Amino acid sequence: MRDNSKTLVKFEWRLCYILHHSAPATDDHFIIELQTARLFGGTLSIFWISLGQGLAVAAILALSSVAFTLEYAVSRVVNLAHGEILTIGAYAAYVCETTYHQDIYVCAVVATICGSLAAIAINFIVIENFRNQKPLATLIATLGVSLVLQNVLLIIFGGASDSYTFNQGSLLHVGPFLWTTLTIEVMVAAIVVAVLIYLLLQRTRLGKALRAVSQNRELSQVSGIPARRVVMQTWGVAGAVSGFAGFLYGETIGTITPTIGNGFLLLSITAAVGGGLGRPYATLGGAVVLGLVMAAAGTYVSSAYQLVIAFGFLVVMLLIKPNGMFVRGMAQTVRA
Amino acid sequence: MLQYWTAILTEATIFAILALGIDMIWGWAGDFDLSAYAYFALGVYMTIVMTVGKPKAPVVYILGWHLPYLIAVPIAVVVVVAFASIIGAIALRSLREVYFSITTLGAVWAIYYAVENYTPLFNGYNGVYGLFDPMGGSLSYNNYHYIFLGFCLLVLFLIYLVVQRLSTSAFGRMVRAVRDDERAAAVYGRNVFWAKYRTYLFGAGLAGLSGGLFAAYIGAFNPLDWKPTEIFVLYAAILVGGRGNPKGVVLGSFIVYVGFVEMTRYIPSPAARPELGPALRQILIGLLIILMMKFRPSGLLPEQLGSDGTVARRSWPERLLRSTPATNHPIAAPDDEFNEDVA
Repeated sequence: MRDNSKTLVKFEWRLCYILHHSAPATDDHFIIELQTARLFGGTLSIFWISLGQGLAVAAILALSSVAFTLEYAVSRVVNLAHGEILTIGAYAAYVCETTYHQDIYVCAVVATICGSLAAIAINFIVIENFRNQKPLATLIATLGVSLVLQNVLLIIFGGASDSYTFNQGSLLHVGPFLWTTLTIEVMVAAIVVAVLIYLLLQRTRLGKALRAVSQNRELSQVSGIPARRVVMQTWGVAGAVSGFAGFLYGETIGTITPTIGNGFLLLSITAAVGGGLGRPYATLGGAVVLGLVMAAAGTYVSSAYQLVIAFGFLVVMLLIKPNGMFVRGMAQTVRA
Repeated sequence: MLQYWTAILTEATIFAILALGIDMIWGWAGDFDLSAYAYFALGVYMTIVMTVGKPKAPVVYILGWHLPYLIAVPIAVVVVVAFASIIGAIALRSLREVYFSITTLGAVWAIYYAVENYTPLFNGYNGVYGLFDPMGGSLSYNNYHYIFLGFCLLVLFLIYLVVQRLSTSAFGRMVRAVRDDERAAAVYGRNVFWAKYRTYLFGAGLAGLSGGLFAAYIGAFNPLDWKPTEIFVLYAAILVGGRGNPKGVVLGSFIVYVGFVEMTRYIPSPAARPELGPALRQILIGLLIILMMKFRPSGLLPEQLGSDGTVARRSWPERLLRSTPATNHPIAAPDDEFNEDVA
């Protein structure tokens, strides 16, 4: 029993260390969970606990990677500054909470709006200006954007980690999983947003236009779709989703630093490319698979090698099925 | 002050060699490789573990040999090339452009976390260290640094001559032809994968060599020293100097390293905010990348291309040996009918 609880704490600390290179700022969350792990005694197995954690991360990952894929779909750009949009969302909520003492829902809305504005600004200032160049040139430019934004955040907020002080709620024993109320709220919110994205894509004019532009921007423009505006709106939506995801991520992990988004970016890319780059539903599937792979890796191999396995998974996926696992057909050569 | 300049110049020289290697992969072959910093790091690690001797507990690392420096570096380069041949084979087989970059990005982070967490390899997070003296301890501290700078400059000069020669050789022209139009090059009988693969391995070898030099310069190395994001500085240097032009790449490395280190040295970094200076430097590098990419993607010294897209200039040995002027059309010009078809 004692071993189990130790492993749990070790697991969470490792996750924090791997993703941010720093220890979690407060121990409260972990101590609560440690105590409850003891309380629930023999009924808890470490596998289900880490799988529960994996599912929570996978839900957020799904949002982040769908936003990433939407950006790719309309602009044909692998946006390496995507992680910074998440970070901006997380810090917007942080400022909103610590400086203006708003409650959790206001913070979530602020994170969403700030993420949206950041994404629109990135698209307007950089991406649209590189539209006539090769995709690789745009990728290199987004790399520059990522460097700039990350270090601006570093200057404003400092390198030390900050943490939200929202009430984590009580620990719940749902089925075989061990979740806090907050984790459950996070997962529910992620699912709701995913459904909203589905409705947006399938049932609205914007969704229809978005799908058209993603297939052929010039042709859709000729057909009377204001492509530039649709692209801008899509970036707004993607940024809103990313900002929200960044807030959820910071809340689930417990601490935020200016580099959290950068750590999460590669996981989003892995999920998107693994599922199918530019295809929102395939990407959703990819995120779920990646979340499960990571949870399994964390349990059976070692949480220290979780990210090694995740990125190894990305390389293998690109090697055997570069179009993504949920996209039919197999291309010999993939060109962006 | 003299020591300060020696340190900066040594660093710039070493990174110029690394930049030449990366430029071969990106500038010549057109593959935006994000994993080159791992080859550099592997070169540093291998050189250190092959020269400083057995690890003393609790430090653990592989090998622990006591080889002379000048033997250790070539072995390190061989190891790096062997390692790059695996990643290159995976990434170049069928993936191009953005997908190639994503693959190398995934690979470099997987390697990074593996090295950081798997302690028996290179002592994990704490890294390897050990003072070793390539010259055999016969020099005083200051003299050693001057001599070492001279040695690095000599290596850079030799590497530059080789790379410049290769750049204007048939091989260099062929690689650029593959970069500009893969399909056309394949139609003309070039093996696309093989051309890119050889360039990749050569570039990785140069990265390993610069790692070997850096090992002697720094003497200690841990994962914090090679965050894969550091590679952006080198891409900024290549962009400033001139992508695909070895002369420009060397120039750009010195401009960016000496210029940026000098510029950011005067930014006050208060004790409470030690991250201010480095962060501003990163912001400048990011802006430099965006602006160069937008307004002058070919750099200060652009790659010199003839009217038909080949490198027109002759290399220096050829110019010495033959007095005939270099031609812009090494391949017989296709007849007009063919041109009309293409147009």
